[in-house]
Amino acid sequence: MADSATLEAVNIDQDEGDFSYPENYEHDAGIGLNEGTLDYISDIKKEADWIREFRKKALKVFNDKPMPTHWASKDLENIVFQNIRYYLSKGGAPTRSWDEVPDDVKETFERLGIPEKERKYLAGVEAQFDSEAAYSNVKEELSKEGVIFVNSTEGLREHPEIFRKWFGKVIPTGDNKFSALNSAVFSGGSFIYVPPGVKVKHPLQAYFRINAENFGQFERTLIIVDEGAEVTYMEGCTAPKFETATLHSAVVELVAMKDAKIQYITVQNWSNNVFNLVTKRGLAHENAEIRWIDCNIGSRLTMKYPGVIMKGRKARGEVISIALANDGQHQDTGAKMIHAADETTSNVVAKSISVGTGVSTYRGQVHIPKHLKGCKNNTECDALLINSTSKTDTYPAITVKGNEHSTQHEASVSQVSEDQIFYMKQRGLSEGEAMSLSVNGFVNDLVREFPMEYSVELKRLIDMEMEDSVG
Amino acid sequence: MWQGILRYFQIEFTKMSNSLKIENLHASVEGTEILKGLSLEIPKGEVHAIMGPNGSGKSTLSKVIAGHEDYEVTEGTVHMDGEDLLALEIDERSRAGFFLAFQYPHEIPGVSNANFLRAALQARLPKGEEIDAVAFYKEMYAKMDELGMDRKFTGRSVNDGFSGGEKKRNEILQMMMLEPKYAILDETDSGLDIDALKIVAQGVNSMRSPERGFLVITHYQRLLDYIVPDVVHVMHDGKIVKTGGKDLALELEEKGYDWVTEELAVA
Amino acid sequence: MSLTLTPPDKMAEKQSTDQWFASAPLTDSGDALPEWYQQLQASSWKQFCENSGPTRLDQNWRFADLKKARLSGLVTAPVVDAESSINRALNNRPEAYAAHFVFVNNRLVHSESGSLPEGVICLPINEALVKHPDLVQSYFLKEEGCLGGSKFRQIHAAATLSGVFIHVPRGVVCEDPILVNHFVGGDGSTIFPHTLVVAEDNTSVSLMDTFQSIQENEGTFAIGNVDLYADNGAKIQYVAFQDSSDLGAKHVQMNSSKAGRDSAIKSAFVNLGAAWVRNESINHMSGTGADCQIYSANLASGIQEYDQRTLQVHEAQHTTSDLLFKNAIYDEARTIFSGLIQVLPGSHHTDSYQTCRNLLGSKTAEANAMPGLEIDADQVKCSHGSTSGQISDEEIFYLQARGITAEDARRIISLGFLNETVSRLDGDKLKEFLFSRIERKFASLA
Repeated sequence: MADSATLEAVNIDQDEGDFSYPENYEHDAGIGLNEGTLDYISDIKKEADWIREFRKKALKVFNDKPMPTHWASKDLENIVFQNIRYYLSKGGAPTRSWDEVPDDVKETFERLGIPEKERKYLAGVEAQFDSEAAYSNVKEELSKEGVIFVNSTEGLREHPEIFRKWFGKVIPTGDNKFSALNSAVFSGGSFIYVPPGVKVKHPLQAYFRINAENFGQFERTLIIVDEGAEVTYMEGCTAPKFETATLHSAVVELVAMKDAKIQYITVQNWSNNVFNLVTKRGLAHENAEIRWIDCNIGSRLTMKYPGVIMKGRKARGEVISIALANDGQHQDTGAKMIHAADETTSNVVAKSISVGTGVSTYRGQVHIPKHLKGCKNNTECDALLINSTSKTDTYPAITVKGNEHSTQHEASVSQVSEDQIFYMKQRGLSEGEAMSLSVNGFVNDLVREFPMEYSVELKRLIDMEMEDSVG
Repeated sequence: MWQGILRYFQIEFTKMSNSLKIENLHASVEGTEILKGLSLEIPKGEVHAIMGPNGSGKSTLSKVIAGHEDYEVTEGTVHMDGEDLLALEIDERSRAGFFLAFQYPHEIPGVSNANFLRAALQARLPKGEEIDAVAFYKEMYAKMDELGMDRKFTGRSVNDGFSGGEKKRNEILQMMMLEPKYAILDETDSGLDIDALKIVAQGVNSMRSPERGFLVITHYQRLLDYIVPDVVHVMHDGKIVKTGGKDLALELEEKGYDWVTEELAVA
Repeated sequence: MSLTLTPPDKMAEKQSTDQWFASAPLTDSGDALPEWYQQLQASSWKQFCENSGPTRLDQNWRFADLKKARLSGLVTAPVVDAESSINRALNNRPEAYAAHFVFVNNRLVHSESGSLPEGVICLPINEALVKHPDLVQSYFLKEEGCLGGSKFRQIHAAATLSGVFIHVPRGVVCEDPILVNHFVGGDGSTIFPHTLVVAEDNTSVSLMDTFQSIQENEGTFAIGNVDLYADNGAKIQYVAFQDSSDLGAKHVQMNSSKAGRDSAIKSAFVNLGAAWVRNESINHMSGTGADCQIYSANLASGIQEYDQRTLQVHEAQHTTSDLLFKNAIYDEARTIFSGLIQVLPGSHHTDSYQTCRNLLGSKTAEANAMPGLEIDADQVKCSHGSTSGQISDEEIFYLQARGITAEDARRIISLGFLNETVSRLDGDKLKEFLFSRIERKFASLA
């Protein structure tokens, strides 16, 4: 509902992420990518030899792999890897107090409302500014229970006994060209461990911010939730609008041990010249549950297909996805459900909205190999087209072997009909308001899956996009 | 100069008028003329009924006044309390005080009744003013009780999966909440059983006031037993062909529409 | 981020140097054939030799067993005794027909005329090429194809063909189906069935191709092509009934339909036989009000693999299409369905549906489904669905409660499952014929 008050709020919001501070970095790996870049990163982070090796191997894989343009957007060819800056930081470890964060960084996150949100409803926060976290804090009671919430450098250095075992195992370096790139130059991100039986009540939040032009952000996240434990993790992302395209390429690995639950929530609102090429996958052991709740509003091209490998009996995987593609944007999203044990179930609900010349694509993969029994998949993907220039594509792939499973896939494409808009206008709503209300209605059941604070924000972002679209 | 003064008075006079006034209205859809010079005036405080056989243009009239883009007005005027309605956008007409109860209310998946009504009311407030949520719900619940509607109804999507009767009741609820100056009820009785019809009529009757005018479009006379009109018009081939008191409806019911058309042929 | 389960190979896989044939598979001197056609054959042969064939990177071959698509050991079909084949064809046909042709190893061995109306041209393709060269040329192999089978299309164009050309002049209605039988036999023996149907304004015509093997256990090949043209208000029904040897036969068929204004084309593929089947079906709704319906009933068992790729292209406003593919899969058989609905810019007010349903009847049966949509227009109603599952215990129980054995119940339900597609065709005799053949294969599975 975009009443005047909301509109005003929205106008502020529109520029929420679109500001930057002058660059002032202690460490800068320079422009371009070679082994020297990796050594530079490793030296600053004082990394163990095995990580150095890991990075160098990954660089080779990255160089060898072709761009996946035989199935993906040709726009990928516009990324010039040698023009990107791969590491920028102000130096120093992340602080546990906002007071110690450098002023410009602190102001950035204050404008984005992070400290306020932390006070209100978060159990822990990590705020990453370009390559490194500037601030990282977790509530004391959680630390006492053994919850670890640190960045990747610290995680690998201080807790190798926990993290090394799973690092790069859910998503191997060679999974795709961009997972290889991330493996070579990763920096920042969250490493989380939740000990057996610990149920983290409030969400842990990470905030990723790109501040510098030509910069590539490559955070690496690994979340391990031990037996019977539970956690909700949320990430938000923004960047200012620069003249040239920026690259964000993360790798996120989740491990849910027996009976564990992980809920991973993303609200992606990069400015619309960011290439957002992210690999996300979770490994669910027996009776564990992994849910990806993914909302993509920003970026120029997003390619992201969160996946769950259901490795233990009765494991469950779920992807809830909302994508909004506006003028000049391509939201190429989807889900990947790999059933690898009996009685595993997966559910995918994806809704996309294409506005103006926006393109939204759904790619899905469901794989149920033979010798399993009692596996179930349900997939629903619905697309809404707003203008006659909008475009939507759907490319699912479902493989089922054996007669003891059931899969169901349904997809539809629809439009906000003229009669629906007429009806709403007759009740006094303007065209933009009617459109906003219809679009919110379309995604309503999914928005409810987000925590309260996020669903409000999401609704506002959608209103804002719709108001713009009908002018 | 005299002409100028005359024109000035004409304008002033129209402004003073307290009615929904349709004059010589011609409208067509895809090149076919449906309304062929229709004139009608509904003063505030009165209930008028339009009756007519199928295809006489009754529903077209309601859509043209609401501003549906499929219909092209080729001639004539519509003034609401002197304001040129045809010059306004669809939503501006609504906010100016015109309401149409649809014959086939549209479904809006995912948008709850409460949210929809709130949005419609909010759109009527000046910039910066917020609706008082408590008062809103209080009022809505009271009106729903009047219409015999279940409270759960507020959370359901607008008209989505509603029965015919529920849809029509919902139209009346919206009318009661939006408090228009003039309302057209387009075949509101269609799809209603007698119990639902009584409740809907009650709702309409409760809104009758010297400050409001109604135009009830119907094919059958039975609705007019419950919403008793002050004036009845008979529409045929895009025009009003006969006007009379409430007894005209009974006469029509008895003799059928052929009676009017035959009379026309004789005349 | 990559979606292919099997990572793309580092290099495009090299097609084996074995080029299927040492020289173009021509079995007649071709002197009488028109020059344009001889030129087309020669250039197609050249393209075929240069084409390295399908690769793992080609999305049109996703999930496919590429080894099966790389043919080897092909020979031009030799002349064989045709009598038993002719008898089989005559004794197993729907009761009513307009004309009947029998081809054995790519050669016409029998033809008869039934209720064929006057004015209809219905000739073996080679004869039509000689007698109506200009008419044939304007429709001959015009479909470019985009579903991966270019190499098959090229060898088809280079080869001596069998099959028929049908031209129905304006206003003529041909009630009964035209029947065409194709038999193939001998190890490596390869046939090139060709079907070309041109239905002028306000006509109606129905055709069924039947594909069978002369003997079991022979590694034979059929590389066929079907093109259907429906002009304004015309109606075409085409059925491909494929029941060749499930042990050795490989069956490739490229289909295309072009539906003009207010025309309707129904095409159906019934696959019971062959070790490997590749169907590619491209359907153009190119005139306002055009409608295409595409059906398939497939009963796969043993180690059969059915690979079907379809495209529904809406090129005009107010066009409709409906696709329903059903696979009943047993033993170690596998099926692949890849379908795409494309609504091109400007093709507003389109209704398009696509459904693939898989009934898996064993622990080792496999179904792959890729139902796709590409929508680029306004006021479009589109949906697709795909399900995979088994017969539920409740269904079996219900039939058992009526005194039917569990085994019979299973057969009845599966049969009903496949027959839903066939029942949407026109022609009671034709449907009866297809029902009985599907039932016969089910009986052999038990």
